[in-house]
Amino acid sequence: MAQKDMSRFRWPALLLQDRFAFAAALVLVAVAVCAVLGPLLIGDLATRQNLRDPGREPFSLDHGWAFVLGSDSLGRPVAARLIAAAGTTLSVAVPAVLCSLAVGSVWGMWAGYHGGWRESVSLRVADVILSFPSLLLAVVVLYVFSPSAVGIVVVLAVARIPVYLRTARAESAELRSRLFIDAARTFGTTGWASIRRHVAPTVLPTLLTVAALDFCFVMLTESSLSFLGIGIQPPDVSWGLMVAQGRQELQSAWWIAVFPGLAIVITTVSATVLAAWARLSTDPGQRWRHGLRRGGSRLRRPRPARGDVGPGPSPTAESAPTGEGPDLTETPPPPLAVSPAHAVSPAQAGAPVAGADTLAVDGLAVDIRTPAGPVPVVRGVSFAVRSGETLALLGESGCGKSMTAHAVAGLLDPAAEVVGGQARLDGEDVLALGPRARRRLAGPGLSIVFQDALSALNPVLTVGTQLAEPFRIHEGLSRRAARARAIELMERVGIPEASSRAGAYPHQFSGGMRQRLLIAMAVALRPKVLLADEPTTALDVTVQAQIMDLLAELRSEQRMALVLITHDLGLVAEHADRVAVMYAGTVVETGPVTEVFGRPNHPYTRGLLESVPAEQHKGSRLDSIPGSPPDPRSVPTGCAFRTRCPMAREVCAGHRPTLAGTGADRAAACHFGKELADA
Amino acid sequence: MVTMLRRRAVSSVIPLLVVVLGVFFLARLTGDPANLYLPLSATPEMRAEFAARNGFDQPLITQFGDYLAQVAHLDFGESLRTAQPAGEAVLRAFPATLQLAGWTMLLAIVGAVVIGSLAAYRPNSVTDRVASFLSSTAASVPDFWFAIMGVLVFAVTLGWLPTSGTSGAAAWVLPVATLLIRPFGVLVQVVRGAMVSALSAPYVKVARAKGARESRVVFGHALRNAAAPALTVAGDLAVGLVNGAVVVETIFGWPGIGKLMIDSVLQRDFAVLQAAVLLTALVIFALNILVDVCHALLDPRVRQRAAA
Repeated sequence: MAQKDMSRFRWPALLLQDRFAFAAALVLVAVAVCAVLGPLLIGDLATRQNLRDPGREPFSLDHGWAFVLGSDSLGRPVAARLIAAAGTTLSVAVPAVLCSLAVGSVWGMWAGYHGGWRESVSLRVADVILSFPSLLLAVVVLYVFSPSAVGIVVVLAVARIPVYLRTARAESAELRSRLFIDAARTFGTTGWASIRRHVAPTVLPTLLTVAALDFCFVMLTESSLSFLGIGIQPPDVSWGLMVAQGRQELQSAWWIAVFPGLAIVITTVSATVLAAWARLSTDPGQRWRHGLRRGGSRLRRPRPARGDVGPGPSPTAESAPTGEGPDLTETPPPPLAVSPAHAVSPAQAGAPVAGADTLAVDGLAVDIRTPAGPVPVVRGVSFAVRSGETLALLGESGCGKSMTAHAVAGLLDPAAEVVGGQARLDGEDVLALGPRARRRLAGPGLSIVFQDALSALNPVLTVGTQLAEPFRIHEGLSRRAARARAIELMERVGIPEASSRAGAYPHQFSGGMRQRLLIAMAVALRPKVLLADEPTTALDVTVQAQIMDLLAELRSEQRMALVLITHDLGLVAEHADRVAVMYAGTVVETGPVTEVFGRPNHPYTRGLLESVPAEQHKGSRLDSIPGSPPDPRSVPTGCAFRTRCPMAREVCAGHRPTLAGTGADRAAACHFGKELADA
Repeated sequence: MVTMLRRRAVSSVIPLLVVVLGVFFLARLTGDPANLYLPLSATPEMRAEFAARNGFDQPLITQFGDYLAQVAHLDFGESLRTAQPAGEAVLRAFPATLQLAGWTMLLAIVGAVVIGSLAAYRPNSVTDRVASFLSSTAASVPDFWFAIMGVLVFAVTLGWLPTSGTSGAAAWVLPVATLLIRPFGVLVQVVRGAMVSALSAPYVKVARAKGARESRVVFGHALRNAAAPALTVAGDLAVGLVNGAVVVETIFGWPGIGKLMIDSVLQRDFAVLQAAVLLTALVIFALNILVDVCHALLDPRVRQRAAA
């Protein structure tokens, strides 16, 4: 509710921000003013025949303002008639829209709130009305009960009730399943009271948007009917009627038909614009999208001017991957990134054979473009992984670990953009590659497994087709040969009866089988690096173990480097060789899993481990990290973790700690990392 | 599939029956049907004779039985104007409208898929904004005015196109363009919306992760998923074309069902109006089933639900 009150405060300001919407609102106000004050303004000018002034040309003020748009063949000024017609239009459209809005929304909320037969009967009635063209309905009814304004209002109101009914039904049926409605029921609140208090306030904004669009429809139908001669009848004036009249004199007096049509277009377009604006400003998700600037494509990112850095580790530990030099030519440095991330790749921090890194990510930075400017979500991430090794990227949700994987794989959403850093696959920076070279690598070089296999498999294609795709794209195999390979692959990942199941669709498989299919697709071309983005989160525990075993088998069989992105400490302990712990968009600690978990060198890692229930803590109080991870828009200055850190001191606020070696093959981004390591 | 079709046919027969019933009661409950069928100048003797001939003096239930039997034989009585069977007049007019509507829908769907996909490919790009603005304007321009402006510019001023008639390709341009504008505008927006959400789905990322070319990602993976909502709206728009046909055929003198309906309204020829309305309802009924078949062809989940 608080949010609603706020939006009520802000809507005039929002309206002023959007010039289009503001102009549209002005137009609608002008039409309304004409409708209300029109009769006072023009008297009987609109209907009085004046045979001294027939067919006056427009755009001349010689005969008074009323003739500025010319006059018709009976000498009636077009401008005055336009104003009079605005009244007619609104007197039909407004009551019709209000009637159908009132009846349709109450009916729809009632049907949606109660569900069951009330819902299905209501929907069936709506279907019946909607399946019949409204103009035709109006034609028949107006034929039987001779045309009149009241008749039009009634017909249009009835014809449009289903539109509101459906919308209100859908929204309130969704609310029905929510808990707060259940709670209200438990307290014995009656149906109507519940609808009024809980359902109506939520559903109404959507319904008003629908009403604005419907207003256009009603206006257009009324003017069509009047144009056809079965709507508003002379001597009343309507824009549609004026167009019909102007049609007779199209050759001699074009203005009679042109201006009323323009009036209709301007009014309906204004209502449409305002409705679109209302939808955007009531739906935060939409506004977010609306505010995005187009920005450069991630694929056209200029190659970072660090050509001297060859494969392998950077020359010095102090090299600054972000925030310096021409890396950031496209976007200004993120305002909230306090200092450049002086990240050290773990390889430099004491890895024995740095040259063997299959994938080395160095100072990767990703921004999300928002209306309020770029928000850095990945702030200088560095890690490396060798073939045959499993590296876990561990962190809470929102820490940027998935964003990191997607950036490396080149799969960021259009709103996100890589603004710095490198990702070297066998020494070649994949972030600097063009789209074509990138596509060649996608599959045989880098591959990715997603979290939710149901949405990651295309629901309308057979799994055989989808599994055959990598072979068709990269090896140019025929349909038949690719399918044979797809079936082999399905057998390899343990799908029973693979050859007959290849013709099935994703929804016909269980969750575990779908995840196997997704993994099969990812390893089809024996990638050098497999990024597994929470591959087992959506699965139950027994299936989880099977999937992890499958990944481990494939990793050793194909000598892949596996990057396991997860928030599950147990999974990391059991399946990873090395771990990179992420917090607020950076890596805070890296090292071999047994060592990091045995003796964490960063207070965050320590906090994470202490919050896990374990045998040795039995009976004692379970510690958790106080507070919550920072919003990417307002990451604390200095060390991002300092506000939650038990060890925080003055230096933490002033200086952002960099990832620095704390032992053999270990590094931590903490001013006291060494102390923790030695303690 | 067959089960689904049968079930769907049964459920969409209901609106059809409602229309049949509606026409019957509208004609009876507004007083003397002779008022509807006969010209206003008819004498009492003519009215009595008319009532007896058409069985309007019988009890309502008998009349309803007769009416149903007539409708089942597509016998809607005689046209007042031409004294020909009303059903024949309607069937003669139908092909002209079907051709007009068929071309319009074809152009609207192809155009909307291309432009909507282009707009959705980069949301908020210049292309997207231009397409969105033009399509929302197109959806709110009154078709009768658009037609008249077309006549004013291309027929009256430039003389490139004829103002009416059906002979030659040039005669098709303005009617099709007029009928096209609204469904096209709406469809572009629907395709755009559906494509934006399809293109942000994980399976699109997976396709890219497989190294698929963008054309394959857009048309092979995203479009088929976006097709379902677009198809639903296209079906509704095709029904709505009847509205447009009434206007377009009146303006361009197109000898189709829409012009026939308006003419029979203006000349109070109830038999023809009734025949036209019932046949239109029948076509809409067939169209709804066609849309359902297309849904099932596009989406295996619909097929499965239907079979279950």
